[in-house]
This record gives sequence, C-alpha cells and structure tokens, in this order.
Amino acid sequence: MILINLISLSLLYYLKKSSGAREFPEHLHRYFKYGMIAAGVLIALGIVHAPPEILFELLSFVLVGAVVYLMLNTPELSYLKTLAITPLPIIGVRLLEYVIKTLSPAIFDIVENYLDAAGVFAFIWAVTMWLNHRKQMKEIEIERIITKEQERQLRTTEEQKNQLETLVAERTKEILSQKEELQYALDHLRSTQEQLIQQEKLASLGQLTAGIAHEIKNPLNFVNNFSELSVDFLQEISEEMPKIPDSPEKENILDLLENVKSNLGKIRHHGSRADSIVRSMLMHSRGGSGTMDPTDLNALIREYSNLAFHGMRANPNPINVDIQLSLDETLPKVKLNAEDFSRVILNLLKNAFDAMRDKLATAGSDYKARVEVRTQDLGDKVLVEVEDNGPGVPDHIKDKLLMPFFTTKKGTEGTGLGLSITHDIVNSHEGTLEISTEEGKFTRFTILLPKR
Amino acid sequence: MKILFVDDERDVEDLFRQKFRKEIRSGKLELAFAFSGQEALELLSTDNPPKFVYVFSDINMPGMSGLELLEEIKSRFPLIQVSMISAYGDQENYDKAMSSGAKGFFTKPVDFDSLKKEISSLIEDRD
Repeated sequence: MILINLISLSLLYYLKKSSGAREFPEHLHRYFKYGMIAAGVLIALGIVHAPPEILFELLSFVLVGAVVYLMLNTPELSYLKTLAITPLPIIGVRLLEYVIKTLSPAIFDIVENYLDAAGVFAFIWAVTMWLNHRKQMKEIEIERIITKEQERQLRTTEEQKNQLETLVAERTKEILSQKEELQYALDHLRSTQEQLIQQEKLASLGQLTAGIAHEIKNPLNFVNNFSELSVDFLQEISEEMPKIPDSPEKENILDLLENVKSNLGKIRHHGSRADSIVRSMLMHSRGGSGTMDPTDLNALIREYSNLAFHGMRANPNPINVDIQLSLDETLPKVKLNAEDFSRVILNLLKNAFDAMRDKLATAGSDYKARVEVRTQDLGDKVLVEVEDNGPGVPDHIKDKLLMPFFTTKKGTEGTGLGLSITHDIVNSHEGTLEISTEEGKFTRFTILLPKR
Repeated sequence: MKILFVDDERDVEDLFRQKFRKEIRSGKLELAFAFSGQEALELLSTDNPPKFVYVFSDINMPGMSGLELLEEIKSRFPLIQVSMISAYGDQENYDKAMSSGAKGFFTKPVDFDSLKKEISSLIEDRD
C-alpha cells in the first residue's frame, strides 16, 4: 500500500516540479496539492496500519488511478504519457494481489509466486519506461531549446527586416524629394534658358533696329534737306515770277509750281515723320550708355511715380492706389544715371502695385492700397524708400527676391528680372538695396546712394 | 573765301551748293568738295599756302577717317580751321575731335542755320 502511495506522491511531486518550466492552469496546481496531501496521509496510515486497512488500500488505488487518469486525459500533460504508463504494471499487479487477497486468501497463496514474478517484470517495465521517459524529456527539452533559439532568430531577423524597411523607406523619401528638387531645378533651368534665348533675340533685334535706323537716317536726311531746299527755291521762284510778263503759259507754270510746292511740302512732312520714328527707334535700342549726371532726384521720382501709376492704370487689372510722396526738399542734386535710375523707381512701384493687387483680391474691402516714396538727406548718403502696405514677403523667399529669374508671379506675368535689374542698377551707383518686410503688413525697399 | 567739305556721300555737294547758292553767286564763298580724306589732302596740297580757310569733314568715311584727317590737317596746315560733322554725336568722338583741335562739332542732320551762322561769321571776319 505504501508503494502505491509513494508512486502517487512521486508522480504528483514530479508534476508539480515540472510545472515550473511549463505554465499549468491554476486548477491543476490545486489537484497536485490535494493529491500530495492525500498521498501523504495514506502513507502515514499505511505505516501505522490503521484500520480499516482494506478501505485505505482501496483509496490508495483510487488515488493512483486518478493521478494516472489525470495525466492521460489532460491536454497540458499529454507529453507525460510515457511517465503515466510507467507505474501501470506495478499498480496492476498490486491491484490484482489486493483483489485476490481480499476475495480469497486461499487462491492468493497459490498464485503468490506468479504474482511475485509479475511484480519483478512490472518493475523492469517501470525502469525501462522511466528511462524511456527521461530520454523523451531530454529530446523535448532539446527541441524546446531549438524552437526557442529559432524563435529568437526569427525575431531578430524580423527586427532587422523592420529596420531595413524603415531605412529603405527613409532613403526612398530622400531620393524622391531629391528627384523633386532636381525636377524643379531642371524646369527652372529650362525656363531660364528660354528667357535667355528670348532676351538674346530681343538684344539682337535691338542691335538690328539700331543698325537699320542708322542706315535709314542718312538717306532720309537727304530727302528732308533737298525737299526743304526745293521749297525755298520755289519761294524764290514765286518772288521772281511777277517780273515776267503775264501770259497763258506763265499761268500754267505758276499753277504747276504751286502743285510742286505742295508736293514738296508733303515730302518734307512725311520725311520728318519718318525721321522722328527713326529717332525714337535709336533712343529705345540705346542701352546703358547714359552718363552719371547731377540729377534732381525728387523731380525724377515725381515724374516716374506718375508714369508708373498711369502705366499701371492703362494696363489690364488696374487698382486704386494712394501714392504718397514724402520728399526731402532740401535734397541736393545726386550724381546718377537718370535713365537707369528711373527704371529703379518704375520697377519698385510696379512691384508694389502687383503685390497690393494680390492682397486686394484676398483682403476685405477695408484694405486700402497705399504706397509711400520717401527721400531723405542723410549727410554723406541719400535715402530713397519705397514702402507698400501689401501682403509682405514670407521669410523663406526674402533672400531670393533679388535673384535673377526668381518670381512669385504665376505663368508669364513676371520675368523675375525686375528686382534683379533694380539691384544691379543700384549696385552700379555704388548704392545698397535692402528689404524689410512683415508678412501681411508691409514691404519696404531701402536704397542708400552715396552723395560723392 | 574757300571752304572744303569732306564727305563720302556725293549728294552732299549738291546739297551744300544749293544751300549756299546765294553766297556762292555773290562771290563771297567758294566751295570745294572731296569724297575721302586722301582726296581732301590732295586738294589742300595743290596750292602752297592752301587757299582754303576752313574744312568741314564727316567722321565716318571709308579709308581715312575724319578724325585722322583732322590730325593730318592740323599738323600740316595749322592755319586752316576744321570742324567735324557726324551722324554719331557721341561723347567719345566729340572729345577726341575737340582735343585734336577741331573748331566745332556738328551733328547730322546738319542744322543749316548754325552752319550758315558759322560761315557768315567767318566771312565777316575776313571783311
């Protein structure tokens, strides 16, 4: 009886111990605990041979049967099948002994020897099964370690894969943005090239115009001079005519001379018309040949603000602008290239008008477009400021404003050269051009010119 | 009084002759024409000393330019006055002509009134 309970106890102890490595449900732990207590109690009872021994022996079989049953029928314990069947022959032999002893001690005496032999075989079986079980356990353990290792490797691989994927995604993004930048640069380059070609064409056209104008000028001078002379001569003739006696022929001659005179007048008239056209063609194609002369800057600003305003009003999309001139009347004459500097005033005002037109389109009706042009004598320098209350310039494009071909105007509205040329002209006057601006409030261009 | 005009345009002769018709008819003025700098120098050298008192020369001419002619005349015949007539009234030509000793500088189209004034002042000086 003690052996059976020891089997129960050791099985339960083994189960409880192996639960450290594997997670068993809570109720199994309870079973193990109560089972061990029961086995302990039954062992104690067996040692003291407490009656009724027959009942306790039966209970011992029930307990061991329950333990084996639990081991065979619980899914979590299915890996212990070999262990579960290890004690079965011993238990079977003992149970047979117990049943025969209880039912008929006489028969027990006869079969005792056989039962002993069966007990030995059962023991050998148990040892074999136990070794078998140990081997299995080891294999399972190895397998478990391998699986764990594989899982670990899998996890590492997964992690590396994820890292690589993020890296690839980052790189892809970088490449895409670089591609975008390059595309932008390419587009920019193309439009710049087109503009340059256009400019080149215009420049050669300008040279051609100047050449043609010059070539036409000389023959035209002859036409004009000779026609003028002939008119003078006809005048003299008509002064001489009264000295000739009247005759029908004389009358005819006078009549014809009158016609010739009128024709020459027409030649003279159209000749001078052509002359003025040629003259203005020459004036237009003449570039950058102006000289630095002492100039009344205030007068220049008055004239060209007026011109800029009326030019804007005459073009598509005119706007209402309040132009304020705050000119320092004590300003001395400044040495500058008036033709070039007038372009500075025109460009800056045109720029202001364009910016304020954009703001007028979005701002409410309370917004009143206003631009102020200031001059001031600063001692060794002269200040010229053009300030508008337009939309201002965002910080990120402020630095680009003076770059050639940079424009915020859409399509073909802007060449991107206005401010760049302005900057060049100011530079050629050894002056400085600065921009101060606040988004939504104002933009101010400040020019400082040396007096010299 | 003899004046020489130098211009590669031949019609200049007719133009000036007609313009100064009265002066020429009255004998106060005698005009001669040369169509290149070389020809002008030849004309000036025929008499010694030359009979010409004044030379009006174009600047842009094939061969010898008006400015070269000016320098040549000024070195060989310093007594003769020279004025330039040019279609290119630029500062550079003007400065060069003036520093080489030109008396006047006229731009084309020629303002005949000022030219006539210049010549009549010469005639008056001689009278």
